Amino acid sequence: MNNQSNIKWWSAIGKISERELRSFAKRPIFLVCMILAPLFFLVLFTSMMNSGLPTKLPAALVDEDNTMVTRSMVRILGSMQETEIVARYDNFTQARQAMQRGEIYAIFRIPKGTTEAALTSRQPCIAFYTNDSYYVAASLLMKDMRKMSEMAGIAITRETLRARGVSEGAIMPILQPIVVESHPLGNPYLNYSVVLSNLIVPGILMLVILLTTSYALGNEWKRGRQGKLLRMAGGNTWVAVVGKLLPQTMLYTLLFWFIQAVFYMYLGFPCACGMPRMMLWGFLAVLASQGLGLFFYELFVGEMRMALSACSLWGVLSFSLAGFSFPVSAMVLPLQWMANLFPLHHYFQLYEAQALNGYPAMYEWPSIVALVGFVLLPVLLTGRLHDGFLNKEYVP
Amino acid sequence: MTWFVNIFKVWWDELCDIVRDEGIMIFIMLVPLAYPLLYAFIYTTETQRDLPVCVIDNCHSARTRELIRKVDATPEVMVRGHVANLAEAQELLKRREVSGIIEIPATFDRDLAHGRQVVVGVYSDLTSMLYYKQLLLGVTNVAQDMNRDIKVNNYLRPGTRREEQVARMPIDFEHVQLYNPQGGFAAFLIPPVMMLILQQTLFLGIGMSMGRTRERNRGLVIPPRSDYKHVVSVVWGKSLLYFCLYMILAAYMCVVVTRWFGLPQLMHADAFFGLMVPYLLACIFLGFCFSAFVFRREDCILLFVFMSVPLLFLTGVSWPGASIPKVWQWLGMLFPSTFGCNAYVRAGTMGASLGDIRHEVMALWIQAGVYFLLACLMYTWEIRRAVGRSVLN
Repeated sequence: MNNQSNIKWWSAIGKISERELRSFAKRPIFLVCMILAPLFFLVLFTSMMNSGLPTKLPAALVDEDNTMVTRSMVRILGSMQETEIVARYDNFTQARQAMQRGEIYAIFRIPKGTTEAALTSRQPCIAFYTNDSYYVAASLLMKDMRKMSEMAGIAITRETLRARGVSEGAIMPILQPIVVESHPLGNPYLNYSVVLSNLIVPGILMLVILLTTSYALGNEWKRGRQGKLLRMAGGNTWVAVVGKLLPQTMLYTLLFWFIQAVFYMYLGFPCACGMPRMMLWGFLAVLASQGLGLFFYELFVGEMRMALSACSLWGVLSFSLAGFSFPVSAMVLPLQWMANLFPLHHYFQLYEAQALNGYPAMYEWPSIVALVGFVLLPVLLTGRLHDGFLNKEYVP
Repeated sequence: MTWFVNIFKVWWDELCDIVRDEGIMIFIMLVPLAYPLLYAFIYTTETQRDLPVCVIDNCHSARTRELIRKVDATPEVMVRGHVANLAEAQELLKRREVSGIIEIPATFDRDLAHGRQVVVGVYSDLTSMLYYKQLLLGVTNVAQDMNRDIKVNNYLRPGTRREEQVARMPIDFEHVQLYNPQGGFAAFLIPPVMMLILQQTLFLGIGMSMGRTRERNRGLVIPPRSDYKHVVSVVWGKSLLYFCLYMILAAYMCVVVTRWFGLPQLMHADAFFGLMVPYLLACIFLGFCFSAFVFRREDCILLFVFMSVPLLFLTGVSWPGASIPKVWQWLGMLFPSTFGCNAYVRAGTMGASLGDIRHEVMALWIQAGVYFLLACLMYTWEIRRAVGRSVLN
């Protein structure tokens, strides 16, 4: 008896899935949003950040002194990784105007008399100005210009020491006794693309999943077919929902794995835990997003538009609260709690701990539990959904 | 005169439609009002302070303790504790109790005394680029300061206070963070995000209203009313409604939000109007063009929402525009947000005059013109279709 009803469930799920697949074929919007858009964004982001770290950012020079010494400083600055001196101005006002026109991100300024003051021990002051409303560019340029300014002073001391007869080998330990050596863990090239693409492309996919889950379910109500769907499922809400969402689960999981394959196999992004583990988290992330999408739909059964609005309002926030560019630990406490309510945050935590740093999975158990929690979340409102199937109409 | 009355009638019809539709109201009122506040709240702490790190001090001398004390005192870094070796430190990293490790070699003091360089290792978690930046900045500042002390006290031996100052730094330098006095994220991200919110919610609102009209009128964009006969009155009537509403919202964002959260606001009234008028018009007309593809009201949420993040990147504000490949720069030029965000950042945050942003403003006017013509074409065709089905007479 039990066995027989099992077979019925499976065949019902199969039939509903088949019906769902046929409805995908009829609507180009599914094709566009579910497959083309994520793939397009995969290409967009990986090619946009192809260089890894932005290099040769445009900066301007105001060299009012213009001596042999300052020219050599400028040459060194121009040879640095992030900086490209694209313009020289006679005075600061011109340079500032160029900055306001958006031509440059930083200004390096050597005032008149710098060389003379340096040679006569009168401590001149050079200055650099970064445009911090373009924060990433400004931070990178700041690093170079700071190093250059520091080196300028060191060069003067070096000459003093040489004049005193200190040997070449002994000079560097005097100038720079303590050297700071940085070891960026997991991403030694400081490749932005590695972390940013790994956040944004899956993030967009998860947002799409969230939206299409609500959309696909809402369409049943919109076309007034929810009753038929429930009958096909033999009156069981969960058979109806699983059958309905199964094709999406399979499609999105394959897409997620494809994205991961592009990252870790084609582009060679670090994946210390191995592909199978990340594929598992990818699968879990797909299910979690579907769970959350379904939960939002259950909250507004029949009101597809409200459910979709909630999904989109929630979904776009997840990029900020996943915490790559601006870390969650720097946010105010309520937001730190709130970050846990976004599947993307947990997927990102798993990614960075495991693929990037290669830590064992047990350290990230809270995120795994949270993702599983998102999968199970819609079970809480089963009654509401069932009631919705029977009694709720589409609300425009 | 009649077309003027028609424009007003269309305007009034649209207004009544929108006000009654809570789905549209969410996107064109609630989101533009609430989301800037929410984003400002997310980034209001500006930057990471007191990043927790642990220290492996293999030397245990007065000088290493001085180093650790000074690192702890920087605004960037906080020393959470001492550990015996790298394995213990890694354990703390794995548990996310610290975000970085500072390792001091056992030979620290002896090497310095012997006039040899010592290497202090800084291991930083790359979970966020900001962690790396803050940790390196904090430790480097302290190391450079101590380097100057060692250099002056051990080798240069200045005679007077002034000589000491000069010997420490023969050339002084100064870093000025322009246009973002807190040097943080809020002043950097909020302005482009606000402009993007204006554009995206316009696309959503216009798309939804279009989808709704189509659903009501069996696929037709033109409701069966006589005032919808002329393209110009339809396009202007609809766009004026969104334009009036969004001018108010834009003013709210530029004035109220920036003031509440203490963001830089250097925009003059002429730059505000000079920028916002073409920006909003370009967004509205592009919204009309996009809405040609919206056949059901919910579709537009699916189509427009996930575009927001890529569009933010295409503006070149968050990821430096100079290092975006040309193809994507051209793609970005199709959207008003690319010019709008940059112009707003420059005029609002950096105090550029209308003349400084004239290229962007020109581009926005061109976009507005082109999309206006496209929108007119689209509506001409739709009106013909409606007349063909004799809905209009």
